[in-house]
Amino acid sequence: MIRAIIIDDERLARNELKKLLADFPEVEVIAEAANADEGIEKIDNLQPDLVFLDIQMPGKTGFDMLAELDSVPEIIFTTAYDEYALKAFEVNALDYLLKPIESGRLADAIQKLHLPDESGSGEITAITNRSLLNENDQVFVKDGEKCWFVKLSEIRLFESVGNYARLFFGTNKPLILKSLNALEERLDEKVFFRANRKHIINLRMIEKIEPYFNGGLLIELKGGDKIEVSRRQTVKFKEMMSL
Amino acid sequence: MIKRIPSRYWICQLAGWGIFILTYLFFAFTFDKFTSIFCGRLLVFAGIGFLFSHFMRFIIIKTNILSKKLASQIIFFIIITVIFALVVGCIDLLLTTLLSISNKQERRSPWHYNLLTNALSSFVYLFIWNCIYFIYHYIEKSTRQQVATLKLESLVKELELKTIKSHINPHFIFNALNSIRALVVENPSRAREAITELSNILRSSMRAEKQETVPFQKELKIVEDYLALEHIRFEDRLKVEYEIDQETLLQPVPPMMLQTLVENAIKHGISKQIMGGVVRVVSHINGDHHELVIENTGRLGNTFNPDGFGLASTKSRLHLLFGDQASFTILQASENRVEVKIQLPLHRHSASFETTITR
Repeated sequence: MIRAIIIDDERLARNELKKLLADFPEVEVIAEAANADEGIEKIDNLQPDLVFLDIQMPGKTGFDMLAELDSVPEIIFTTAYDEYALKAFEVNALDYLLKPIESGRLADAIQKLHLPDESGSGEITAITNRSLLNENDQVFVKDGEKCWFVKLSEIRLFESVGNYARLFFGTNKPLILKSLNALEERLDEKVFFRANRKHIINLRMIEKIEPYFNGGLLIELKGGDKIEVSRRQTVKFKEMMSL
Repeated sequence: MIKRIPSRYWICQLAGWGIFILTYLFFAFTFDKFTSIFCGRLLVFAGIGFLFSHFMRFIIIKTNILSKKLASQIIFFIIITVIFALVVGCIDLLLTTLLSISNKQERRSPWHYNLLTNALSSFVYLFIWNCIYFIYHYIEKSTRQQVATLKLESLVKELELKTIKSHINPHFIFNALNSIRALVVENPSRAREAITELSNILRSSMRAEKQETVPFQKELKIVEDYLALEHIRFEDRLKVEYEIDQETLLQPVPPMMLQTLVENAIKHGISKQIMGGVVRVVSHINGDHHELVIENTGRLGNTFNPDGFGLASTKSRLHLLFGDQASFTILQASENRVEVKIQLPLHRHSASFETTITR
């Protein structure tokens, strides 16, 4: 069963979508929201698998709302005309439906969702630790005009830039308004390692490890970034790796 | 078709050489040097000059040099003047010798000296001829270009007006269709009304391209239909108030202008307010102006751009239609209220205006 939330400021638009979804027994609409703030609250409380999200809403847009979430569920955008807004996406990790929505397109979009096959496994991880982000969690990143949906496992490096953090994935390096310390608290330390004051690295993205001055290490990541591991953290790193 | 009236070229050509002859005769008489030899020489020179300048024009036309670059035109003119001056000088010398009308000085000098002085004097006249010809065509060409630019500008204006008029927001159409689709089940009779309202708007937006102005009541009808449709979408988040002076119903207004502004009031005002708000449409007579006011809940905000497409096009449209007689202002009237005010020149004979419209 896919647990879905509909977020749209128009009651009639929500009703229309609910009516269409009635033909899909695998989707259960567990809540509705009329604006971004209500949406954030309901997503945080109910942890849905899927969100149908209108882009133009009063107060905050759908994009603004996503940028405020720590981890985003699967998103299907619904929009009347602004496909251009969706061109901002670099990675086609999403789908969108044009209103009035065609039933056939809705079926395609639901089929395409990359939800885990066993509905059980998702719930277990959710129960174990809700505040910690799993490497399969995706985040929504908005940097200026460009937007991305990124799985944490695709990010090889977090770099501190003042109060911001720069994410490195693929050839992109967008900034997000989150401090490195705040990110460190939410990330799974088995995968994401604090190499020094300025960097958190993805351990699964390590290409090469070399000894460095003062008993430190120099780690080369996939993609060629070279990160120095401080002496104190090198001790911790060796401990972790020897396990 | 053969031209009955001689062309401007022939008039100028004849007049030019005529003036040349007359000037010489005048000076000859005044200084009492009028002899048959002088007269013969003058006529011979003018005759050759006339023929060869015409021949020169033939070459200029054949080579189509006037459409080339300015620099190559100038070089061409200098070369052609020198060549023709030599030819004319030669022939003039030949004829004066043959007709034995050479003057005393010439008879004493060697032939090449005579040829040179002849060529020099004919160079002066041909140079003047060429200058006049060249400058005349240059001026004519630039005026023709100016006319073409003006024509182009007015065409652009016309096209601008058309695109501004037909500008109806597709976002609105699809949202309306989506609301109507939901209404079909929930409230079928309201859905039917909504379809009619939407058709009215679409029809008038298409028709708007053909008219410069429409009576205000037609425009108001569209706005009412539009706001009725938006009310379906926003439900209690949208409140609409009208304050219409009946006197203004027949005043001419640019089609789809009020509609665009009301659409902006919804898009930038109401749709951004979580609790929604009020749109107020006022039409009344203020002094010698027809005044339209559109108010909406909301703030202009920091990103507000008074030259954004909607506003800039409304302003330029008013300017194109009424010049300085119309005005447009937008301001933050109070804490949470934006006001757009338009003043249009008052049309005194609105009754006769109506008959021309309905015809």
